[in-house]
Amino acid sequence: MQREVGTLPLAPALRARLAAAGFQTAQELLDTGPCGLSKEIGISREEALEALQVVRQECHGDAARTAGGSGATRKCTALELLEEEQAQGFIITFCSALDNILGGGVQLTKITEICGAPGVGKTQLCMQLAVDVQIPECFGGVAGEAVFIDTEGSFMVDRVVDIAAACVQHCHLIAEAQQEEDHRKALETFSLENILSHIYYFRCRDYTELLAQVYLLPEFLSEHSKVRLVVIDGIAFPFRHDFEDLSLRTRLLNGLAQQLIIIANDHKSAVVLTNQMTTRIGQSQSTLVPALGESWGHAATVRLIFHWDNSQRLATLYKSPSQKESTVAYHITSHGFRDVQPPAVTHSAEGTELNPRKRPRTEEEKQ
Amino acid sequence: MVVLQAGLCPGLTEEMLQLLRANGIRTVVDFVSSDLEDVAQKCSLSYKALVAVRRVLLAQFSAFPANGADLYEELKSSTAILPTGSPSLDQLLDSGLYTGELTELMGAPGSGKTQVCLGIAASVSLGLKQHVLFLDSTGGFTASRLYQILRAQTEDEEEQARLCFVLQLEALQRVQVVRVFNIYELLGALQELRDRLSQQAVSSVGPLKVVLLDSVSAVIYPVLGGRQSEGLALMMQLSRELKTLAREFSLAVVVTNQVTRDSSTGQLKPALGRSWSFVPSTRVLLESREANWERASTQRAASLAKSPRQPAGIQVELDIG
Repeated sequence: MQREVGTLPLAPALRARLAAAGFQTAQELLDTGPCGLSKEIGISREEALEALQVVRQECHGDAARTAGGSGATRKCTALELLEEEQAQGFIITFCSALDNILGGGVQLTKITEICGAPGVGKTQLCMQLAVDVQIPECFGGVAGEAVFIDTEGSFMVDRVVDIAAACVQHCHLIAEAQQEEDHRKALETFSLENILSHIYYFRCRDYTELLAQVYLLPEFLSEHSKVRLVVIDGIAFPFRHDFEDLSLRTRLLNGLAQQLIIIANDHKSAVVLTNQMTTRIGQSQSTLVPALGESWGHAATVRLIFHWDNSQRLATLYKSPSQKESTVAYHITSHGFRDVQPPAVTHSAEGTELNPRKRPRTEEEKQ
Repeated sequence: MVVLQAGLCPGLTEEMLQLLRANGIRTVVDFVSSDLEDVAQKCSLSYKALVAVRRVLLAQFSAFPANGADLYEELKSSTAILPTGSPSLDQLLDSGLYTGELTELMGAPGSGKTQVCLGIAASVSLGLKQHVLFLDSTGGFTASRLYQILRAQTEDEEEQARLCFVLQLEALQRVQVVRVFNIYELLGALQELRDRLSQQAVSSVGPLKVVLLDSVSAVIYPVLGGRQSEGLALMMQLSRELKTLAREFSLAVVVTNQVTRDSSTGQLKPALGRSWSFVPSTRVLLESREANWERASTQRAASLAKSPRQPAGIQVELDIG
């Protein structure tokens, strides 16, 4: 392996000593062996053994990649990726306008960030998604479980009960209308208790706990392989106060972002983060911008900004690799996140009173 | 700094090595820079033998100067200019991406860096029928968007739907995507690419022409800063790998970078600092026309921040829709 010593994940002091002793490639290190190595650079035999372990692991990883092993590698052609993407499901939000601008819903394997002023509905959407990810596949969902990491303490179980009850009700209505076998079977397992028992809730009180939780998440996810959604409600909160060293904050946030992308990719789950807004004071005006700075803006793949327009709530898709920027209106009812009911549409069959339980039928339900 | 070993050149025997090592001469640099008469006396070795060894070592390990005219001829024959898929961007870059060089695209979130990279991948893969390597470190590569761009490009030229479809599929197969989420994985992937290219490099024109790295700051930021200087060393290693790849195998390397806000002036400046600013030969800044996010559009402005061929500060309009 012609891998240079400088590119191996060894401790900096060790790397400096290896460079001073004249070692250039990983192959030379492996040829020397632990005794020779410990004599040459003056470290103990155990340290030399450990270092060689690391080197061997890296080189074997490289060799596996060259040989085309597909298990741990993340290499493929665009065509294969396209096929994978088209077969992947989305997590719907129950607001069809929002689903449309997102291209079908919240995408798996990507990080979606929701920014908004207080009270605009970010936590509501997170709770809605935690329920929606569990919708069985025959109703158009991904049939997964959810992990909810809460840093602000805004997760209200009774609200989730309302949302889940409305969702179950909705699926019952579809099943009655369509009368198919697998719908009925799926409904047997899709009940309120089941939904609540598949939301794994973690409470983190400061940034250390949050970082620890995220770095330990891969192990948790390998035990619970059905998880398809990881929500972190309030990623800004632990990082916004008492951080004197801002460069440390940037480094931690970037490391966190990379770890979340690895989780999203390896476990094929969607990661949803909520962020707060802060004011940027310009020369003539001040604007509301998402918190945590410019560099955090690059962490999320998809960015949604929720804002108010008089008394109407609006959602803007600000950043997305595959969809255009656009804005839609949404509504939060007692049943959760919903479309804004257009006033002139529903004269036809339902009479003058708008039944809040029936959302307008769209194409995805008719499958 | 290569360690002296027996068999490195004829005349360098094991006993000679032992004697040299006993006097503190362990690497080629130590040997070549030491006073040979001194060494001959201290190690009781023959002066002539040492001079012979030194001559061989210098021939093996030193770099050779090249004639300017030869270099120019070589560059003329091996450099290619690749279209980026957007005529205004080509104009900005003096007719396209030059192989053998590193080009950087920087911009705020949502300014269109990934879109421009996808456009480049589509244009090279479809138009030139060359292979493209896309190193994705942010998870932003969406194959369906690439497919959309390819469809838009083929439907301009060809009439037949079936022919279009075959062309699109072939173009998709020529784009290889590798997901690397930390700096060591990235370095490993580049090393592996180098091995693969040097094995098949009988001609310097292998099938690969463009390497796109989106984004470089995502992998370097977690290790940069603080009290360790390790991050800076890794960043320089990375830059060396990318530049060697570009030069040796005549590839065009494109990287995307973030922008950060200068704390004192409030201006946007490219991320990764001064040390990285010397690495790319061309830097393009992408900006959205609107100052804030309340009005959406697909228009972007690209301005040239650094270029070896064009005056800096030229601006063009781009449409990433």
